[in-house]
Amino acid sequence: MVKDSYDVVVVGAGGDGPVAAWKLAEAGLSVLVLEAGPFHGNEQWPNPHEDPGGEASSSVEDLSGELLDEQFTTREFEMVNELLFGPADHDRGFWFRKFPGDGAILQCAGVGGTTLHYTGCHPRAYPASIDEQGHWPIDYADLLPYYREVEAMCDVSPAPVTAKEELFFRGAAAAGWDPIEDLNVTDPGYRPQPNAIRQPDAKLHVDADYDGDFTYPDVEGDTLALGDIAGNPHPRGAPFEEKAKRASNVSFVPPALATGNVTVRPNAFVTDVETETGGTDRPTATGVRFRDTWSGDTETVAADVVVLAAGAIETPRLWKNADLPANDWVGRGLTIHFGDNVMGLWDADDLEDAIGKRTIDQHQGQDIAARFDYPGLGMLQTVGTAPGIGAILGFGASASGFAFQNDPEDAPWDTMGRLAGTELKRLLSGYRRMLQVLVVSDDRPHQRNGVSVNPALADEHGPIPLVNYEPSTGDRQRRDDLAEIAAEILREAGASHVHRSDSPPTALHVHSTMRMGEVVDEACEAIDVDRLFVADHSVLSNSVGGVNPTNTGQALAARTAETVVDRYF
Amino acid sequence: MGNDNLWHEFLRWVGEGWRRVASRVGWVRETTGFFRVDPHTAVTFRAIADAVVPETPGLEAELGPEHVPGGLAVGLDDFHVAYVDDGFQFGLPHVGFVGNAPLADPVAHVLDLAARELVRRGENESALSDDRPVALVDLGEAPPPEVRAAAGPFAKLSRRDRLRAMAILDEFEVELSPSADELFELDAGLVGQLVVGFAEMIYYSEWQGYDEFDRAPSERDHPNDPAAVQSWRQTGFPGFANGYAALRGYLGTPDGSLGDGESWTTIDDGTGSPVRIVHESGSFRENDYDTSGYEEPYPE
Repeated sequence: MVKDSYDVVVVGAGGDGPVAAWKLAEAGLSVLVLEAGPFHGNEQWPNPHEDPGGEASSSVEDLSGELLDEQFTTREFEMVNELLFGPADHDRGFWFRKFPGDGAILQCAGVGGTTLHYTGCHPRAYPASIDEQGHWPIDYADLLPYYREVEAMCDVSPAPVTAKEELFFRGAAAAGWDPIEDLNVTDPGYRPQPNAIRQPDAKLHVDADYDGDFTYPDVEGDTLALGDIAGNPHPRGAPFEEKAKRASNVSFVPPALATGNVTVRPNAFVTDVETETGGTDRPTATGVRFRDTWSGDTETVAADVVVLAAGAIETPRLWKNADLPANDWVGRGLTIHFGDNVMGLWDADDLEDAIGKRTIDQHQGQDIAARFDYPGLGMLQTVGTAPGIGAILGFGASASGFAFQNDPEDAPWDTMGRLAGTELKRLLSGYRRMLQVLVVSDDRPHQRNGVSVNPALADEHGPIPLVNYEPSTGDRQRRDDLAEIAAEILREAGASHVHRSDSPPTALHVHSTMRMGEVVDEACEAIDVDRLFVADHSVLSNSVGGVNPTNTGQALAARTAETVVDRYF
Repeated sequence: MGNDNLWHEFLRWVGEGWRRVASRVGWVRETTGFFRVDPHTAVTFRAIADAVVPETPGLEAELGPEHVPGGLAVGLDDFHVAYVDDGFQFGLPHVGFVGNAPLADPVAHVLDLAARELVRRGENESALSDDRPVALVDLGEAPPPEVRAAAGPFAKLSRRDRLRAMAILDEFEVELSPSADELFELDAGLVGQLVVGFAEMIYYSEWQGYDEFDRAPSERDHPNDPAAVQSWRQTGFPGFANGYAALRGYLGTPDGSLGDGESWTTIDDGTGSPVRIVHESGSFRENDYDTSGYEEPYPE
């Protein structure tokens, strides 16, 4: 049962909230975590998208790998629809958020948040993005102990090589880049992803002639079956805590519940932060109001400290809807790693020469297991997808119309733009000889970009987030340089056809809308509200150099939790 | 009609769509017959599926007979309408089914506006033809006069001109200017995403294999077999698996920390420093770092 008051209420059980909850609970505090979406793999909610189920979960005994296996079918279309940001009730559509152009925000609702469909990539920020770009009030060195703690909790290790990673590494080496072995990256080069996915069983080596089942306990760790974007419950049959992908529901929620001090209440959308002012104008957070997404009932809960961890879109929305003090940077400075897709297609004979077989088979291995780093520009990542997600990410959207309307002339790609019709079918007939590279640029915080609200545009939880994003000239240049490097690597790896999407701005990684140094102080407590902390990617002062932000967000959340204890308990 | 006019027309249609949405208390979709949705919407979504994932007899000689059928052969248009209508909810319980906003009708009308703009600019490669929508509907489903009456200009364009019309929508990067008397405004970019990106994702995903996708998740059945999914036969996707014995090893370098053990293969980078794929994983190096030499490639 949910009580009337706790030491700390954490708003959001996404990638970062459970980290803060775990640390606070380890320190002996009572913690309530409120999550807008469902709780998968929990016996309190055997059918989380069909029935309201239980009220809350406070025991690690509630976690069930068997239920997670049932609910995470790995079927891409079904899982995208279940995980993307919307109410648990499968009859109801996504929560609509206004985003410019034909881009979109890809976020999940549910315990685990967007780590439910993230690909486990857990690199650290580029040190220069913290120490040299002028956005951060703290040093990279301040983050190091927390990186180490998070990496240990998430089993971060070098990602395994399958055919598609070998092909990419060959291309990167042939293009003249060096391999990187460092955790703290300062120079360009290629390396395996530091992935929060347990490494595969050695039995799965191509030389080992394995012909057994790919289920636990026959195999432990990752099973190289793709599926991270669709939730990845592998290895099937494993207990909840033994799933290979260390999304926050697997890495941090179990130890948090095991403390006995944490209650997680899903299907609870926080709509207000309650404050009081004791003789001054300066408010102090005293609790939150939330709405049950199944019943529509609202409740309030009191807390000595409130930690916002609703993500870089919803946290500023909540701040604005809660009528907390105005600040020029609340909701502003949004970075999304302004990205693109560059795809290579190979002839079977060329693949035979390069990797010893006539198909790449992007559906095998981990989704994202090889990367290219370039501090100052951003990164590239190979991406394996099932065909539906691959089609929408790689070919379904473009800022430059359809491919047949563009003549790339001397560009390093053969075609650019949206693909449809005969061209789409012809290209996707080569799905198994195709490899996409995701371009992720180090976009910079600009005040024009961010989240606003308007009272005229509201849903059941108040005015919805209206997102604006327009990259700067520098952002575009960084992305263009990376796209050219991607094309060169694919060519050097032997691709016969290279296609660039010229993707519209799409928010896969979302950060820096409640920036440290502007909205929150160096400890991530709100500058204008006492006892109100932020522990999600919104406090990142910039886009951490264009690397996957989960590790940095979680490291900061761990650091923030320690400060909460130091300051108020 | 210039761009400004097109934009005003677009907003008018979206507003109209929303007013109709808001007035349909307890809106429930009809469930029988070809025109179980608005006839104009039904024909327009056939024209979308026919343009985005067309039937392609020309690919038979090049790729094989399995590459001929397109979206219409598997009912992509029907599901696409349902998906667009049920895809978003705005938390207004009196609007649509459990609050989902039926967007298919306004989307279809917006595509007609784009088609008119394409023709106004003279950028269509061939003239509008009534025969095109008629060809998209079997005689047994609806008689040609009804189809002609229902079809808007978008459905009368050639396939490629339909794509050109969709691309026009991308030109409208809209600054949202909400007003109190409109329930909501939809921007043109979302229309492009709904009609192109979503159609492609649905078609190339496992969608066709479900007995009924409308069922509750725990009651859905999927055979996970390419025999049940036309697009899987076209892409070679084998279905979802529990695992693959596809491990080649780990990236390693001479004297480095990353990988160890027997080599699987060697990648020669041409500089005499081959990188190896080795059987055993090492770890990343907790290196000292120095950022003092960092230079911004594009200072801002």
